[in-house]
Amino acid sequence: MNFRELNKCRLDIVKEQKKKNNCTVIGTLCSYVPVEILHSFGIIPVRIWGQSENLHKADALLQPFICPPVRHLMALGLEGHYNFLDGIVHCYTCDATCGLFNIWVRNLKPGFSHLISLPYMAINEALTYTMAEFGNFIEKLETFTKKKFSPDNLKRSIALYNEARSLMKEVYCLRKSGLLVSYSGISAMNICSQTLPVEMFLPELRKYVEKMKEDERGISGKLKILISGSVISDTSLMAFIEGAGGDIVADDACTGLRVLRDVIPEGDPLQSLAGYYLTRPPCASRADFPSRKAYFLETLKDFDIDAVIFIHQKFCDPHLSDHPFMKKVLDEAGIPNMQLEVEGDELTGQVQTRIESFFEMLERL
Amino acid sequence: MMEEKKTTKRLKANTALRQIITDFYADAHRAKAEGRPVGWIPPMNGLIELFYAMDIHPIFPENWAPICAAIGTNTNNFAYAQRRGYSGDLCGYFRNNIGYALDGIAEENQPLDGLPKPDFLISFGAGCIPTMKTFQVLCDHFRVPVFRADLPQVAMEDIGEHHIQYGVTQIKRIIKFLEGITGKRLDIDRLRQAVAYTDEACRFWDEIMDARRTIPSPFSAAEIGIMFVMVTRHGTKIAVDFLRDVLEEVRGKVARGEGVIPNERIRLFWDNIPLWYNMKLFNYFEKWDAVVVAETYTSAWTMRMDKDKPLESIAYKSLVSYPLVSCVSLDKRIELIRKAVVDYKIDGAIFHSNRSCKPISMGQMDIMKMLSEELFVPGVMFDGDHMDGGSFSEAQFHTRIDAFMEMLSERKRI
Repeated sequence: MNFRELNKCRLDIVKEQKKKNNCTVIGTLCSYVPVEILHSFGIIPVRIWGQSENLHKADALLQPFICPPVRHLMALGLEGHYNFLDGIVHCYTCDATCGLFNIWVRNLKPGFSHLISLPYMAINEALTYTMAEFGNFIEKLETFTKKKFSPDNLKRSIALYNEARSLMKEVYCLRKSGLLVSYSGISAMNICSQTLPVEMFLPELRKYVEKMKEDERGISGKLKILISGSVISDTSLMAFIEGAGGDIVADDACTGLRVLRDVIPEGDPLQSLAGYYLTRPPCASRADFPSRKAYFLETLKDFDIDAVIFIHQKFCDPHLSDHPFMKKVLDEAGIPNMQLEVEGDELTGQVQTRIESFFEMLERL
Repeated sequence: MMEEKKTTKRLKANTALRQIITDFYADAHRAKAEGRPVGWIPPMNGLIELFYAMDIHPIFPENWAPICAAIGTNTNNFAYAQRRGYSGDLCGYFRNNIGYALDGIAEENQPLDGLPKPDFLISFGAGCIPTMKTFQVLCDHFRVPVFRADLPQVAMEDIGEHHIQYGVTQIKRIIKFLEGITGKRLDIDRLRQAVAYTDEACRFWDEIMDARRTIPSPFSAAEIGIMFVMVTRHGTKIAVDFLRDVLEEVRGKVARGEGVIPNERIRLFWDNIPLWYNMKLFNYFEKWDAVVVAETYTSAWTMRMDKDKPLESIAYKSLVSYPLVSCVSLDKRIELIRKAVVDYKIDGAIFHSNRSCKPISMGQMDIMKMLSEELFVPGVMFDGDHMDGGSFSEAQFHTRIDAFMEMLSERKRI
């Protein structure tokens, strides 16, 4: 099965694993949750992800001015898609997901729930703080699972996730070096990396990378595009951009490159883990402008980007409030850019027209 | 037009409050003129005590926003923000403050003479996203020294030693920065005094709020402007003296059995931020002999400070102020509201579903459900926005509230 197919049946795969191995499954709402810790307890961490076909179900608990991804997740929860979860963990990033975490816990009553509060800076004291914060999380997991925390298990979990992240980064590098594959496949890989058990994801990923290495290379002649936003999962939108004349080679989103820049170094596993989560390229919810600008410019240069497409979810405070600044950064760097505001995965006629106009404009440059 | 939206205030203390507001901004301009530093900071944290202890004048853009809404300059500021590319879906405080700081500040003849430009800025990774982003935009715009502070978002009930200690390390970093700005060492005794003033202000605040448990209530949400001193004058005697006078006036009313209106029949709870451009709404309930006697927002200062542990106290204050009213912990918020509804003998709750404030609005449906199912207190929700009148329909508000109040009136009659 390729990642697109795996992505479609990811919930069934996890449910089957849970049944087969009699293991605990815990949902996460953000890529800042240290999944390695959950994994070291024998827990399967699963990013709660997806679109509901019955969005209206969220109306009973969430106002219409809350961003579509959060409303979709709540609707999925209320519909019972995630009933198999034994618990939920969140790390405070944006206000909307923190609200979702609280409302989810109150209404769906998971057996385990925990909110991690990470600091925003990577100073020495922040490292000590983060280790204490992870320590609290571990204590709570020990009580819940009735298992003792094992640093050796954590080391083994870190090694697995490190391998996955390194291979995923290699996929981006292969793409950068001219491999002619569609970004929607890479996107499916990204989603699978956070929604499938790592033991199942890794063998598929190894095969995927090996196959990629044998695939055709060349010069597509298309413009190299970076897409930026929070939750970007609309494959039809990606395909449309690629059909209109762009090659999506890099991303700045909740899944993708930002999680892959670094691997967790060896040494005291908890300290290394804390360091990784503190120094990761920050998302809009956690970054100040200078660090976000620095990371953005670094990525643009690294991938030799021709143009940037911002894909923003309606009502997304972090990204919408960053956008004028990011636009200024790109304008100053002479990189053409456009902003699309979408409501969930929805490739509307208006969005299509705007993308086509953007590429027509780029052709004239 | 604006005159019609003004609330009817009944506390005599409002005369003194008007002077305090005028003085706060006049002092800021005086400080600037005399070469004393003016720092712009986010609201509701322990920086204010440090500032006053070091003769630095604080400016809170978030406090300036309600003033803009009340005087009507908010719409200009929104237009400026929009011209700069900021989405109309973003929080009204954010749009107003960005619009004002980047462009509106250059306008002539501003009320209260506008805001003096900052000599430095403190930008937090804390509070809600719009507050955090406001300061990031300001840091990018004003070419002044910037201190980047850090404080994680922790649920109140989970605050532990490592959170406080991290807060203390941040405060120590800030002190060093401020000593560099002022060229003076912090006098720890002055900081202790500032902390003691805040503690006393919080104590008076709680007593003032407690007095509203009395039937009839001595004052309503229409007088909520008194919290100006809790935002801008913590750490000073000004807040303490003013609140002492308010308490005395309120106790006098309680002793005389003097309520807001002659025949208080229905007692209401208000959830979320007021509509600063239309405070008259709080008087709207009076035609049913109803009074808003408690609110979520006013609980943000229910805390104690220890002058013998000044750094820990201001770290704690900085950690709890935001979670007290937001959705960091819905359980805690529900607990606070449940208690308020019982203590203040609430008959019904008004929920302002506020497009400009996601953290306070999220969870409102759960709170409404809890009140109805556990305490049999009904609630009504209306759509609004604490800063932007364009997202509020007064006619719809009247329709919803009328129906709700008729139902409550019937209940009270039975």
